[in-house]
Amino acid sequence: MTVMRDTVVKSLAKVTVQGDENGLIPEYEVLVNLLPVSLLNRLSERLMAAAPPERKRDVEAGLVRAAYECGYHTGCGIITSEVFNDVVLPMVTEGEKDILRGAYAAFTAWGWAKSGIVQLKEGERMVIRAFDYYEADNTGEGLRAYMLRGLSQAFFDLAYADTYPDGMDTFVCRQTKGIEAGDPYGEFIVTRK
Amino acid sequence: MALQLDYTMDDTTFRHFLNGHCVVMHSHHYLALVTRLVEELGEIDGTRVLTDVVEESMREIFDDYIAKHGLTSPQERGAVGKEYYSALGLGKLQVSGDGNRGEVRLLRSHLDEGWVRKWGTHDRPVNHFTRGFIAAMFGAAFNAPVGSFRVTEEASIAAGAPEGKFVVVRNRAEGGAA
Repeated sequence: MTVMRDTVVKSLAKVTVQGDENGLIPEYEVLVNLLPVSLLNRLSERLMAAAPPERKRDVEAGLVRAAYECGYHTGCGIITSEVFNDVVLPMVTEGEKDILRGAYAAFTAWGWAKSGIVQLKEGERMVIRAFDYYEADNTGEGLRAYMLRGLSQAFFDLAYADTYPDGMDTFVCRQTKGIEAGDPYGEFIVTRK
Repeated sequence: MALQLDYTMDDTTFRHFLNGHCVVMHSHHYLALVTRLVEELGEIDGTRVLTDVVEESMREIFDDYIAKHGLTSPQERGAVGKEYYSALGLGKLQVSGDGNRGEVRLLRSHLDEGWVRKWGTHDRPVNHFTRGFIAAMFGAAFNAPVGSFRVTEEASIAAGAPEGKFVVVRNRAEGGAA
């Protein structure tokens, strides 16, 4: 058996988070928040629009970096969590490849991106396609799925780079297609840096 | 007032919604890094961009909830923002004030505590996100236009204080009595 995506998505989609008596959500070894997508997209749109031409790449890199570090640290918490252990690990028969399949099922179930792996050369290269993601609503110019770029890089680092937390920045992700740019899906390619 | 929380999911896209508004999980790493990014964008007043975006975005959500539930008193309307803050995992607020000025104590803070976890204490307040949130909360409470309240952070958990303190003043230009 390998990871059965639909089963994982259905199980993980039921997981909800909510602030405790202190208004905090300590989960997956981090403090979690729930933010409105309208806020997140508006912020990246405004920052990119306001940045002078020579600074736009820095802003883009900063937005990807925020998603990357969030994904790397939270991702480690997710793939070692009780819920991942219960739902995904029993189906893992192909090591890191199945962990990644489980991770993209989680991305889908938790509303980050309805996405999956379409090509994988272990430890070298991965191609992701996403048929819905919240940054697809982002208005602006060019390819703008900063979050999914960062998350894809993070999870490939977690799967194939040095053991957490020493494997950061081993791989890089670039976006080659985007729903926000008129393509039918978003496409993301992870390669060694 | 107990904020009613209605969590739903679109079965096709798997997007998640809270009271009809699409929401997504992130962690303290994300908000801390975004905060540092806007601080580094001084030439475009990045912190102002962040506070404005938070105020506008949260105000839409507060106003929608207030309208749907027919809330009329400033206390009830203001409580929507306070309770949303905790429901979203952002921390715990204690709010006092009126339509001209106010004070908000931040008893627990996702961003500040996350910042300290990530980088240790900082040399100045960093919670621009909450300044925008509080501006939206006061605007919704007193039915004032976006931009009506100026919020300053006078004590900061990220800078080593035991709790945060925000001072709220109505802008004169908007027509308030401050």
